[in-house]
Amino acid sequence: MIDPYYLQQLVIGLSLGMTYALMAIGFTLIFGVLNVVNFAHGEVYTIGAFASLVLITAVAPPFVAVVVFALAIGALAGFSLERIAFKPFRRFTDEASLKSRAMREATLLSSLAVSIIAREAIELLFGSQQQAVPFEYLINQPIHLGPVIIVTGDLIIFGISALMLIGLQFLLTRTHVGLSIRAVSNNPLGARYVGINVDRTIIMTFVIGGMMGAAAGILVGLYYGVIFPAMGFIPGVKAFVAMVMGGLSSIPGAVICAIILGLSESVAVTFISSGWADMVAYGFLIVTLIFFPQGLFGARRERV
Amino acid sequence: MSDLANPPTAAPPSTLRNLVLPILIAIVIFAVVPAVLTSFGRGYFWQIANIALIFVLLAASLHVVTGVAGLLHLGHAAFYGVGAYTAGLLASEQGMPFLVTIPAAAIVTAAIAFLVALPTMRLVSIYFAVATLAIGQMIYLVLLNWVSFTHGPNGVLIFSGLEVFGIDLSSPIATYFLVAVIVSASIVLIHRISHSYYGNALRSLREDDQCADAMGVRTARLKMEAFVISAAFAGIAGALWAHTTGYISPSDFDFAESILILAMVVVGGLGSLPGAVIGALLLILLPEVLRDVGDVRNIMVGIVMFLSILLLPKGLFGEVSALSMIRRQFGDAWRRDENGKGIGWR
Amino acid sequence: MTRLKTTALIGALAALVATGAHAQDPIKIGYQLPLTGDTAQYGQGFRNAAQMQLEKFNASGKIPVPVEIVYEDSRSDAKEGVTIARKFVDDPAIVAVLGDFTSTVSMAAAQVYRQAGMPQLSQTASHPDYTKISEYQFRNITTQDQEGPYNADWFTELGYKKVAVIAEQTDWGQSVVDGFSERFKEDGGEIVFSEFFNRGLKDFRSVITKIERAQPDAIYTGFFYEDGANFLRQARQLGVETPIFSTSAAYNPALIDLAGEAANGMKLTVTFLPTSDDPNVKAFVDEYTERYGEAPGQFPAQAYDAVGIMLDAVAKTYPDTTRETMRDALAETKDYPGVTGVTTFDENREPAKELAKAEVKDGEFVALP
Repeated sequence: MIDPYYLQQLVIGLSLGMTYALMAIGFTLIFGVLNVVNFAHGEVYTIGAFASLVLITAVAPPFVAVVVFALAIGALAGFSLERIAFKPFRRFTDEASLKSRAMREATLLSSLAVSIIAREAIELLFGSQQQAVPFEYLINQPIHLGPVIIVTGDLIIFGISALMLIGLQFLLTRTHVGLSIRAVSNNPLGARYVGINVDRTIIMTFVIGGMMGAAAGILVGLYYGVIFPAMGFIPGVKAFVAMVMGGLSSIPGAVICAIILGLSESVAVTFISSGWADMVAYGFLIVTLIFFPQGLFGARRERV
Repeated sequence: MSDLANPPTAAPPSTLRNLVLPILIAIVIFAVVPAVLTSFGRGYFWQIANIALIFVLLAASLHVVTGVAGLLHLGHAAFYGVGAYTAGLLASEQGMPFLVTIPAAAIVTAAIAFLVALPTMRLVSIYFAVATLAIGQMIYLVLLNWVSFTHGPNGVLIFSGLEVFGIDLSSPIATYFLVAVIVSASIVLIHRISHSYYGNALRSLREDDQCADAMGVRTARLKMEAFVISAAFAGIAGALWAHTTGYISPSDFDFAESILILAMVVVGGLGSLPGAVIGALLLILLPEVLRDVGDVRNIMVGIVMFLSILLLPKGLFGEVSALSMIRRQFGDAWRRDENGKGIGWR
Repeated sequence: MTRLKTTALIGALAALVATGAHAQDPIKIGYQLPLTGDTAQYGQGFRNAAQMQLEKFNASGKIPVPVEIVYEDSRSDAKEGVTIARKFVDDPAIVAVLGDFTSTVSMAAAQVYRQAGMPQLSQTASHPDYTKISEYQFRNITTQDQEGPYNADWFTELGYKKVAVIAEQTDWGQSVVDGFSERFKEDGGEIVFSEFFNRGLKDFRSVITKIERAQPDAIYTGFFYEDGANFLRQARQLGVETPIFSTSAAYNPALIDLAGEAANGMKLTVTFLPTSDDPNVKAFVDEYTERYGEAPGQFPAQAYDAVGIMLDAVAKTYPDTTRETMRDALAETKDYPGVTGVTTFDENREPAKELAKAEVKDGEFVALP
């Protein structure tokens, strides 16, 4: 029989992992297509949370409406992000430019610059403090399951991420859009040659990724009741780690690794001080990179 | 070392003409800037000049890894921190003088970089970047949480000041000259490293590491060397920061600092040492110039960074773009030197 | 005529710059504080409070020339803090400096002020070594050397034997744990759990579960209101019944806005209580609330008093207001009647403050006897 203490820690870890997974899905999708880290994904997450919070305080809509609104905001944010930070750097379409590392690093840095601008702008508008969230919207009512306690948010987040994952898999494998996304992800030049509109495909990817990010932002924000301008940074790093562990382009892999990450962080707190527990994620990352060069669920990419 | 290619700079035997630029730069650093600053007569400008110089060294050291060898490094500030802590702890707890702590900081930082490089240097591209991110964060967490050794968040206070051979150098102008001498010497070294056959071998990693590997360049070892050299210079910068500020704490060396240094290298132009220097100056001076703008100044910095990437995709002084532009303009002519021998493209 | 001097710092380049100030020239005080960045909310609170105190002083006509405060944004970044310090030292009209917010930045800047002989009064820097840097450093916040033992005695009084201690991983958090644990062990109590968390941690549930396993009689915490609200909410969510105690740093009306019912029952020490009957406090709270639309927390109150102490020193030294005389005047501060209690600086330039006990009841801070 497991000590209820460990059971409780596992449950906490699981829910922590789910919140990372929410973020990792959109992150991985965008990376898979452009092969570039989108530093501004954390800001899409923040924008989603803030925009929804404004809606909540203004008109107090039902919960479902909040999520739908966040999805719309996310789609808009993803679209603008692509137009502002990524599109201008795809003006050259010859093979050399597509493979050029300098070009990729330029988009990496431009997304970083956009994220700085977005974060500072949010800070100017709302102040850097943690925002008060109306209590009736928080999804943290405790539910007692025998010896362990979970909250309503765990079920909601689990449900929504499962839904997202299934929806995304369906989209990617069963629809025309998904097919073109996978084609661009595999070989942008080849995709262009066979007549796929690469530009539109990339926008679609950002719109979908942005929706995922913004929805994650408001869900996690309501889950913890914590909404502030710099909220996107830590989940961004964790999602990044999960993505790499999962093998970069595998979305289910990233989700599973996000959950492993959450579980191991919460269990680690038992054995080491909470200050050191952050080491776990980075330690995992290094170990994965060294011993599982393909990622735990890796696709065929060369990294060594 | 590899005989992969001739150096792109293909420096002819040193003539007087080649000395003009270095001498000009030296005059600017050691005469013009001090003269101008003295005429303002304000410690504030000296302070900014010192910080700018330290960041010039940081950007130049990152240039070795990210610019020349083309490896995206997201944890550079951690090595800066290791250097600062080495110097700070040696000075405050062992009472070591400045002349000892600077080389000690370089050596300790290089040693730590070597240790973390051992398992990770086989990685390429984004995987390398992620690994350096993790390493940087881990070092930061160690600085923060190993309270008994690093004093954790309490930081380290250094009272000993700057003393060389018993002469007190803690006045702003003396500090400036001291920092300027050390930074200039380091930059000259970095310049020699990156503009040599050795530097070309590093460039081969950036352009095509598989090809370099196939031609007999020992890529993993080269990467490790570049990484360690870069860390050693970052360590020197850290020691300078510790001694000029007198108080260090882990928050000076977090991820945001790494990103700032990376941004300097990218804004200035990947692969170009002058670019890295200019980028550092730009990103340190700009926020100061914009101080009067008030609350929106960080947005301005973000916008300047974005515009410079957008309008100058390869940086202000990007080696890569400059060369490709020349190639387009002059075609084959560029490939020959005066003896009609092919210089080769890289 | 006021004669202001910058000292050794500028030394080699300009020797001593001496500037004669005209009688109409305002006396300037520098204030370095975070107005942007992650800690901007605190800096803005400081500026609000400082502005109120300054206007009150200038309207009172205690001295014939106006006093000005020059605000500079440090972003809580040591680089910026040091640069600002140089800037303030450069300006011969600036006779004293307030700030910075975090100990890190305050101490990095303090090294500059030490060399220049500029008095520095921080409203919040709580690092034990801060005032040891030189005789120019003052602070207007109770250190944990005072608050920790006070709380430890309180715990012993209440009959707690086993206590869990948790604080943020900062210099201040370290002093919270040390200050409390030492005395509590002397009193015969037992510390069953002692840990630090990284600031801004969002998920405390693992730690809380771990604390609960140690079965303490009470939990003593060192956090600011944002982390505090998250901690309290998640403790309630996990059904924690153990009483939670905190320090005066957690006192902020926003804590209750963020934590809601979960804050009820938390006990803490305070130096400033807006519900107090003291006319000073009432006037401050009313005016602050009216001007800025929110009730002041402990930190704005702290800044309000720091500025007040500073301005008193200006009034005392006028017309001979220099950095030296300001330092001496600050050091002589005795029984300053502020909103955070009566302040006297001891020989180490540390304030001795009166502490009071409070509890959150039905969404309000209530003084305990």
